[in-house]
Amino acid sequence: MTRPRFHTMTGGLRVSGLHKRFGKIAALHGVDLEVARGQLVGFLGPNGAGKTTTMRGILGLVAMDAGSVTWDGRTMTEEDRHHIGYMPQERGLYPGMKVHEHISYIGRLAGLDRETADRRANHWAERVGLAERGKDLVQQLSTGNQQRVQLAVALVHEPELMILDEPFAGLDPVAVSMLSDVMAEQVEKGASVVFSSHQLELVQDLAEHVTIVAGGETRATGTVADLRYRSPRRQLEIRWTGPVPSWSPPEALAQEAPPGVSIFEVPAASDPAALIAQASLAGSVSAVSFQPPGLDEVFLELVGP
Amino acid sequence: MSWNLVKEVAEREIRTRACTKSFRIITGILVAAAIIGPIVSALWPEGGDDLRQVTVGLVDVEETTQHQIMAFAEGNLDLTFQDYTGLPPAQLDQALSDADIDVAIEGGPTLVWDRKTDFEIAGLLFAVLQQQEVLVRGRRLGLGEGDIVQLLTPVQVEERFADELHESDGVVEGVAFLGLMLALNIPLLFGQLTMMSVVEEKSTRVIEVLLGHIRPRTLLLGKVLGLGALGAAQLLVVVGGLTAALVLTSALEIPASVWRFMPILVVSTLGAIAVYNTLFALLGSLVSRQEDASQVIVPVFIPILGGFLAANASLVGNAESALAKALTLFPLTSPMMLPVRVARDAIAPWEIALSLGLLALGVLLLIRIAGRVYEFTLLHTGSRVGWSQMLRLSRGVALE
Repeated sequence: MTRPRFHTMTGGLRVSGLHKRFGKIAALHGVDLEVARGQLVGFLGPNGAGKTTTMRGILGLVAMDAGSVTWDGRTMTEEDRHHIGYMPQERGLYPGMKVHEHISYIGRLAGLDRETADRRANHWAERVGLAERGKDLVQQLSTGNQQRVQLAVALVHEPELMILDEPFAGLDPVAVSMLSDVMAEQVEKGASVVFSSHQLELVQDLAEHVTIVAGGETRATGTVADLRYRSPRRQLEIRWTGPVPSWSPPEALAQEAPPGVSIFEVPAASDPAALIAQASLAGSVSAVSFQPPGLDEVFLELVGP
Repeated sequence: MSWNLVKEVAEREIRTRACTKSFRIITGILVAAAIIGPIVSALWPEGGDDLRQVTVGLVDVEETTQHQIMAFAEGNLDLTFQDYTGLPPAQLDQALSDADIDVAIEGGPTLVWDRKTDFEIAGLLFAVLQQQEVLVRGRRLGLGEGDIVQLLTPVQVEERFADELHESDGVVEGVAFLGLMLALNIPLLFGQLTMMSVVEEKSTRVIEVLLGHIRPRTLLLGKVLGLGALGAAQLLVVVGGLTAALVLTSALEIPASVWRFMPILVVSTLGAIAVYNTLFALLGSLVSRQEDASQVIVPVFIPILGGFLAANASLVGNAESALAKALTLFPLTSPMMLPVRVARDAIAPWEIALSLGLLALGVLLLIRIAGRVYEFTLLHTGSRVGWSQMLRLSRGVALE
């Protein structure tokens, strides 16, 4: 199993050794998470891994039994928490409130004065594509548009730390693209963004860093490329010009492949040049790729049974 | 505690609830009732002068007896006679069944009723018929006419009342009853609105977003104060309407106790709004869905309705019983008992002071307890928080 490795941060969020029990259930027993300023981190794990509890712990919604949450190197305070933008997994909005009023209200609760909150509400309603719906009640919007309001609510006070719990769940491709752009913009501006998702291809595309939790503890953390290359396996894909030979590399596991192609899972220590040479003796090779497994496979390696 | 955030929450609650159609309709109905009630009671024609109309059937009754009955009934009943002499008895029975006549006298004398005796009519007829019989017997015994008349002259029995009935007694009772309805309904209405607001925030999960920016106690206080202010505004509008209506109908004699009652009604109802809002907010935080809310409010309704019934009993009965005095000091019932006892002029000044003091103390204590419970229960989802868990939380014991 790959153990967590942390780098030294100059600022941002640092969560260390969080423990939390709910009665007889140990929800968290050693969760670590780091999100530097200007960094986008994917927070991954199967259902019940402890992602939401960790996020609630950072927000101070759930008191932790042990562990620490620091911001810029010091224990996170109530004042720091005013600078967090939170998008909960189960969307939380007042159904009977108007869109603009709702965004502005949360802005005022986050400490903005009325004028600034109203101005920002206009800006974010426009940014998430709801400029024309400002006077509509939240309950009159589709689920996807309510998610956009939820995003605007999380961003109205322009937070330094964004915690997004399953932000892409239920969004159409256009909304996914908009949300991805907004997250990237915030990172560009120097905000720390952490989000959970089960859409691992999307995470791989968006986040440079990921932290994987399972069973209430952190199983791995690092860049996506780092985690993929830490895998003990590689994928060897050979495209043949003629008939596919019955050749197989040593210690390899053949996988399902399209016609004219062979795919093998081989040990990471395998020598690609030697494998190509052996394959060329067996048949006519037109192309070869030697890659670490994708994030989805790494994820399964780390959290699977 | 950030008072800016309390203000934000309070303003949102006021805007949200004041804009609803149901709130405007209820306020309109209350104001209309407060204004129309005294005006209608002032304009209502005085009753009591109209005599009850009674029809008496006669079978073989002498004319002198009829005159005697008429003389006795004067000023008490408006009598009409119908003669059934010589007609078949079944026709008389049918007239009684059809209520064409109220009673029949058969020369004998016998009183014939349809099913049961009407004692008001019977008392008058018995007296006349007995006099007639005594007159006959007196003559038989050889008594002189003058002696008989002297014997039959009715004995004058004087009446005396310990407490004189004033025309204004009805005004006190009417105004106090209206006040009692306000003291019960306005706090209950706003208590339930507060509860709905809490449950809505839990069921829609918006509470998670809110608590990212605001502490549970701040949220609770904003909610209680916001809806409390709205309730106070509604109360003042209604009491203002009631006062205006009383002044407009100044033809009525308005006793001083009514004017003492008004400020006490306002103060104690404001206290009730604060108590019930806090209590219902706490109860709302125990459940996660509107459908479950009824489970938790039943135990609270029992003392509240008990207080209402006791206050109602004090309004028309004994306002100085031990029960009335005890309930005047209990914060859940005092807002109803106190105004009624003031209106009845049946409470000492020290009792008023103690009752209001305990009400204020109750509000503060409840806010403190509710704040403790609220911190845990707001983020609790699924099954409702049990009473034993709530009691532990209220003592500051953390739950797992």
